[in-house]
Formats: sequence, structure tokens, C-alpha cells
Amino acid sequence: MKTTVHGGSDAPVLALDNIHKAFGGVVAVEDFSLELRAGEIVALVGDNGAGKSTLVKMISGVHAPSSGTIRLDGEAVSFSDASVARAHGIEVVYQDLALADQQPVYMNMFLGRETVRGPLNLLDRKAMMRETQALVDELDVRIPSAKAIIRDLSGGQRQGVAIARATHWARKLILLDEPTAALGVAETAKVEDIVRTLRERNIAILIISHSLDQVFRLSDRICVLRRGIQIGVRETAKTDKNEIVSMITGVG
Amino acid sequence: MRFTRMMTTASVALMLLGGLAQAETVGPQGETATPSKTVKVDDDKVSMLKEGNYRAALLWHDQSDFVNAVTAGATDEFNRLGIEVVATTSAGFDAAKQRSDIETALAKKPNIILSLPLDPVTSAAAFKEAKAEGVKLVFLSNLPQDYQHPTDYAAIVTDDLFQMGKQAADALAKGMGGKGTVGWIFHDANYYVTNQRDNAFKTTIENDYPDIEIVAEQGISDPARAEDIANAMLLKNPDLGGIYVTWAGPAEGVLAALRANGNKTTKVVTLDLSEPVALDMVKGGNVTAIVADEAYELGRAMAAAGARALAGEETPPFVVAPAVTVTPDNVEAGWKQSLHREAPDSVKNAGK
Amino acid sequence: MDWLRSARQTFDLQQYVVYLGFLAIFLFFAITLSDDGFLTTRNLSNIVLQTAPATIMAIGFVFVLSAGEIDLSFGSIVAVSALSGAVVMQDYPMVAGIAAGLGVGLAIGWFNGFLVAYLRLPSFLVTLATLGLFAGVARSMTDLRSIPVINDAFTGFFGSGSLFGIPSLILWTIGAVVVGHVVYRETRFGAHVIATGDNAGAAQVSGIKVPRIRLAVLMISGGCAGLAGLLYAGRLQAARYTLGESDLMTVIAAVIVGGTALNGGKGSVIGALVGSLLMGMLNNGLILMGLSVSDQMIVRGLIILIAVAISLRDPAR
Repeated sequence: MKTTVHGGSDAPVLALDNIHKAFGGVVAVEDFSLELRAGEIVALVGDNGAGKSTLVKMISGVHAPSSGTIRLDGEAVSFSDASVARAHGIEVVYQDLALADQQPVYMNMFLGRETVRGPLNLLDRKAMMRETQALVDELDVRIPSAKAIIRDLSGGQRQGVAIARATHWARKLILLDEPTAALGVAETAKVEDIVRTLRERNIAILIISHSLDQVFRLSDRICVLRRGIQIGVRETAKTDKNEIVSMITGVG
Repeated sequence: MRFTRMMTTASVALMLLGGLAQAETVGPQGETATPSKTVKVDDDKVSMLKEGNYRAALLWHDQSDFVNAVTAGATDEFNRLGIEVVATTSAGFDAAKQRSDIETALAKKPNIILSLPLDPVTSAAAFKEAKAEGVKLVFLSNLPQDYQHPTDYAAIVTDDLFQMGKQAADALAKGMGGKGTVGWIFHDANYYVTNQRDNAFKTTIENDYPDIEIVAEQGISDPARAEDIANAMLLKNPDLGGIYVTWAGPAEGVLAALRANGNKTTKVVTLDLSEPVALDMVKGGNVTAIVADEAYELGRAMAAAGARALAGEETPPFVVAPAVTVTPDNVEAGWKQSLHREAPDSVKNAGK
Repeated sequence: MDWLRSARQTFDLQQYVVYLGFLAIFLFFAITLSDDGFLTTRNLSNIVLQTAPATIMAIGFVFVLSAGEIDLSFGSIVAVSALSGAVVMQDYPMVAGIAAGLGVGLAIGWFNGFLVAYLRLPSFLVTLATLGLFAGVARSMTDLRSIPVINDAFTGFFGSGSLFGIPSLILWTIGAVVVGHVVYRETRFGAHVIATGDNAGAAQVSGIKVPRIRLAVLMISGGCAGLAGLLYAGRLQAARYTLGESDLMTVIAAVIVGGTALNGGKGSVIGALVGSLLMGMLNNGLILMGLSVSDQMIVRGLIILIAVAISLRDPAR
């Protein structure tokens, strides 16, 4: 089974085996299997309604699969909700960002997981600001300050904050759902740079993107879905756009 | 809307109800009523009061036509006596606001406070400070619990509620030629102001007019339902000679029902002045008379009682202001006597 | 100069408005009413005493608004709580009365919160309905009668008493503001309340139990209203069904002027305190100016309008 090894342990970080998901009588995902290893970037592509978002939601614990198993580091898991998945070291960067607009960057970075101190468990704003600053410096997310209000930032800066947050908390896996859909060219390039640095942190990344150019720039492997059916997985270096497009569309 | 004042509850009420048997209004501790016109400040005290640079505060429970007229009566009397009105407030029926208003007004060091205590229980604590500072308190209609005359307050002034009901009965009987059947629409709630007036009407008809019979009785708590109630009453008693309506608000609804039925014969009497009701009366409609209190006189008597107390003179514990029967013949004078202002133009013009 | 920059960022312009407005109106009254007793210690302490219940309601309201919800029912909760406390104290000791007053407030808050958080009904409609519902309950529970409170310990503790010369109502105000401010600004719970109001979806995916936050803020509002009811009962030495009825507009105005956003995600407990004092000072000063009741209402309305307009105007847009 185990073919490519990008270093780290031999069990894949994430293994999806024969995942099946139906809502009522409607089949959303049929017999899907995929493995992700540490430091690997896999792209999930397919038309609208192909089942990509459903897959992301199952991996992040929002939906439970109808059948099939999800394994983390070789161990079968079942997530009752998103917080359980997060406790297992899985972070999601959502298309709609999931940032609280009127709050400062550092509070978003620690949203729901604020650092506290002292016997009264009061917020440790200084520590959160310090860690935030260190992280955005390291990832080269250019924001005015850790105290800047999200609403005052550009789209690229916001996405940078969202990815930085995922990076800070993820121990195993980051799911990126259309991370650059709302961004301009320069900002997209900046976000792609950030994603590349994540690979060096030995984290597995699953990215959903509509932009094949981006997929070819970033990913190690490409997995194609069509109408809930897994069409195939290709190594990026050994395929080309034409093949992927015909797999997505089923034409040619 | 006078109705608002009725929502004050009721230590005085029980005493007043007790007074019913005697066919006149009696005060909280069984005091006999002193007519307001006898409460006056003697001329020799006027100059003394003027030199005192005294101040008064008017701390009302709410805002209304009635309160405006009382305020006007009190302010005119205070002006005559050289007493400055330094604060006027409205509690909007909020007992906590009334308490705050009293405290705030005390910063201006008034010598006299005129007020309608919202209810006996909450106002007992609210007026305590004012009482302790020796402010002369004159109350309208209601008395804080356990307050004693004359140490704690100068006087209570109220409407002659029994007279209002009795005069309504007399006026309706006159309009009906002394005979016929009557419908009695009373206020179905435990409010002494309306209860007193309604019962006085009923007793007067029963005792003084043997040829008039009350054939229908119907309570009302929501003025908006007056029209329905009147319709039902007319359906059962098509030849009703007269209807008594507890106050002007529901009377407007009763008039609507009569008009809808094309009824031009049933006479209506009600209490408190209202423009639409008065307009019907002067235009020769169903309304035969309106009985009103003399709110302006009430305010004047309150001010005079406070001033007398300040001058060290005796004050009667319980003062009643008279009622006035307003008919098409005296509508302009009646309006002036009650509210101390001109009747509305519509009413004046319709009478010409 | 780092502290200066940080001060600028934590206190944006809108939050200054209430303090500047308060100062301006205070100075205006201090000058024009210098001969009318405005500046006397007694009058100034009266303002704080009179606003104590409204201030405490306002603190609860800051939490509710910050979480993106609204509570229109707290005025009715005040009356029901005050009456419950007063009725219980006719037969039982003070502690039972306090428990009844606060318990009823929390219970009604829980009821509101359950409908909003778990049945996902809009809080505006839920609390509009419970406003009427509990106004009716307050009227029927004692048949419109006022209930006297003759427990001296209670009236001292919640109303006329004092500690080290400081009136108890002022101590309650200080205590509630300190606790409210710390919980709001310095705890994870406070941060979660603000995040829920700012972006409930983001809060949810960040692991914040959003329904639990919604339930909690409505219970805080109910509890604050219960406490306000007890303060009214202590101050008036009686409870009455009209208590709290007229506080809704004052409290909303105080909270908005104090820099809390109507649609959540931003607020200030200290601002609400100053807003509430501003409202009390306006009432007081306009009466002392000797204005007629109608004129008082007009002037107060205009000043609130100006203050709200300034504090809601977003300088960034």
C-alpha cells in the first residue's frame, strides 16, 4: 500500500478508507479513499457539487461519514463535532475566513482557545499578542500589528491571519478550502508562499482549489472527484492540465 | 385622559366607599369633607408669604389635561402669593421615578410639595425625607400609608366623587323627562375614583327617581370594547331611554354604536370633558350632559392649603373640589370652570 | 510612546464620546445650576443612587447586545423579581427574599435563553413576547397591589443603608461595574460573548459553544434585572408591578451611548455606567432647571439623539 514516503512516520497522517456519505437518499460521496503524509500537499479538485466540501466537513468533524473509516496516524477515529477534530490536531481554513471582524488579530488567533493566567484565569493579552507577533513574523504575514482590527485589513492579510491561526494550532493536518478565491493576483501569490512554508513544518495539507494553475504550483498529488465519485489520484509531476481537466469533466 | 388617574390604588378608596351610605365623600380617617372654596389664604397673610420667598414643587404622577388644569390652578395661586414654582415633574406612573423626582426636587429646597402619591405603599417611604425636612405636603386623591394630619401633611384634596355621580344621575333624569329605562356601563375594576362615581349614579337613580329603572348593567375594563358592549345592550333593550358611561373614553365608543344603529333618542351621560363627546352634545346628538370636576379649582385649593400651612394657619384635613354639570347651554362656561381654558373651537362653533 | 499608541487603539473615538458628553453636560449644569443645588454632595449622590438599578440592568444589556442578541423583557423581570422578593419576605427571612428575587430573574432569563439558544427563535421576538407575558404575571401575582417590605436588614442592604459612610446603592453599583467589567473584558467567557456577537459562525467553528453563550447572556440579563428589582424594592421599601417598566428606553440609550454596538461584537461596561449616569444627570438637571415636563422630555430626547448619532457614526466609513 505505502508507496511514497516524504519522511516522518510510516503510517499516513490521514487515511480515508472507503468513505461513503449520503444525505437522505442523495449520495454525496461514494467510496472515497485517500492517504496524506506529513509534509505533503494534496489538492482536491472537481466541479461544483462534486463532493469536495462534504469531504472537508467529514474530515473536520462537522459531518460523520455514512460508512467507511477515517484514520489518524493509523488509528481509527470518529469525531462527534468540530472541536474533537481540532483536539486531534486538524485545523480548517474556511472559504469565508471564520474571523471575528471587529476583534484584533491576536484575539482571532486565539479565538476559542484564549491564553489565561493567574488564579482567576484572566486573559493574558500580552502573551497572546507576543505569540501572534512571533508567528506572523515567522510566516511573513504582513499586518500593521497584532492589535490591528481584522476589519481594517486587506483580504490577503485576513487570509494570512486565518492560515497563521491554523498553522499555530494544527499539529497534523490543515484543510484549506478555497484559500485564495477572493484574492487578487499579488495577494494570491503571498498566500501561496505561506502555504509553501507550511510544508517545511511537516504538516499534511489538503487544499481545495478551483484554480488548476494554483494546484500545479502547490501540490504534490492531485485527487479528482466527479459527482461524488473518486476518479483518480495523480502525482503532480507526472500529469498535466489536460489529463486533470478531462478527469474533472469526464470529456475526452 | 383622566382615566390615568384612576389607576392609583386605594387607601382613601375604602373610606370613600364607607362614606357612600351617608351619600357624601368622607376622608381617610372619617373626616368630613371641606368644600374647596372655603380654603383660602387671608389677605393679611399674603404679604407675609410674599416676603418669605417661598418655593413650591409640583410632583405629578403623569401628564394629562387634568394635570395641566390642576397645575394651572396651583401655579396661578402660588403666583398670587409670591411663591415660586421651582420644579414640575411627571413620574409616568413609575413609583421609582416618583421617588427620584422627590429627591431631585428637594435639592431646590421647596417649602411646599403638591403631589399625587402613586400608591400608598411605595409613597410612604418616598415622601419620608420631604416630611422630615418639614416640607408642607399637600396630596391629591391619595395618601401615603400611616401619614397623620396635620403633623405629616397639610391636606388631601380630591374631587367630590359622589357629587359627580349624583349630578350625572340628575342630568340624565332631566334629559329623560324623569322616566324610562337606563343602561349602566360601569368601570369593572377596583379603582375607587370610578367605583365611587359609578355607584353614586346608581344609588341616586334608585333612590331619587322611582320612575326610572336600570334595566341593563354592564362592566367595562377596556375602553376599546365600549362599542361592542353598547351594541349588545341596545340589541336586548331597543327602547333604552338613557345610558350612563363611566368616563368619556368609552362614551365615544357608545356614541359610535348609537350612530351605527341610527339611534337618535337614547340619552347619554358621562363624566370628564372630551372634545368628541362635547361636540355630539352641542350638535344635539345623544349626549345630554357631561359632568366634570373642577380641576383648576382643585389645584388652587391645593396651593392655598399648602400656603396656609406655611403661614402657620390651620388646614382642613380633607378638601373636596366641586363637580360641574356641563350642558349645551353652559358648555363654554363649564369648560372654563373645569379646565380653566377655552372650550375647543369645534365645540364653540358648533354651538353657534 | 508605546503606551500611547496602545491607549489609542483600545479606546476608539466612539468610546470617548460618552465621556466627553458626560463632561460637557456636567459642566453645563454645574455652571447654569450652581445656585440650584446641582453641585451639592447630596444631589450628586442622589444621581448615582437613582441610577443604580438602571446601571445594573445596563450591564446585563451590554452582555446581551455584545453577543448579538437583545433582551426587551428585563423591565418585566424587574417587577416580577421585586414582587417575588417582597412577597417571600412577608413570611421568610431576608435571604429567602433575595434568593427568590434573583432566582426568578435567572429563571426567566433561562427561559428566554432556552428559546433563543436551543429553539433558535429570534431574541427580539422572544423577549418582546416575554416582556408582555411577565408584565401580565407581575400584575396578576398580587392583583395590582403594592407589597410593602418591612425587613429593615433588607431595606438597609439594598436601599437606604451604608457601609463606611458610602450608601449601599453606590456600593452595589461599584461592585456590579467591577465584576461586569472584569468578566466582560478579562475572561475567556467575555471574549466568547464578544466573538459570538461579532461572527457566530466563526465562534462556532472555533470551538465556542455558541448556544451556551446565548443562554448565558440572557441569564445574565435576567439576573441583573432581578438584582435591579431587589434594589428598587429596598429603595422604595415596597414592590410594585410598574417597577422597571419605564427603564427600557433609558437603558438602551445608556448602553448605546456608552459605546456598545447594537448588532454585537463590541461593547463597554464602563461606558454603560457613564451612559447611565449621563441619563440620570439629564433627568436631574432638567428638573432643576425648572422646565415644564413636556420641555424636559423634548430636551432629553434631543440630547440622547445627538449622543446616539455621534456614538453610532462609524468614523472609518
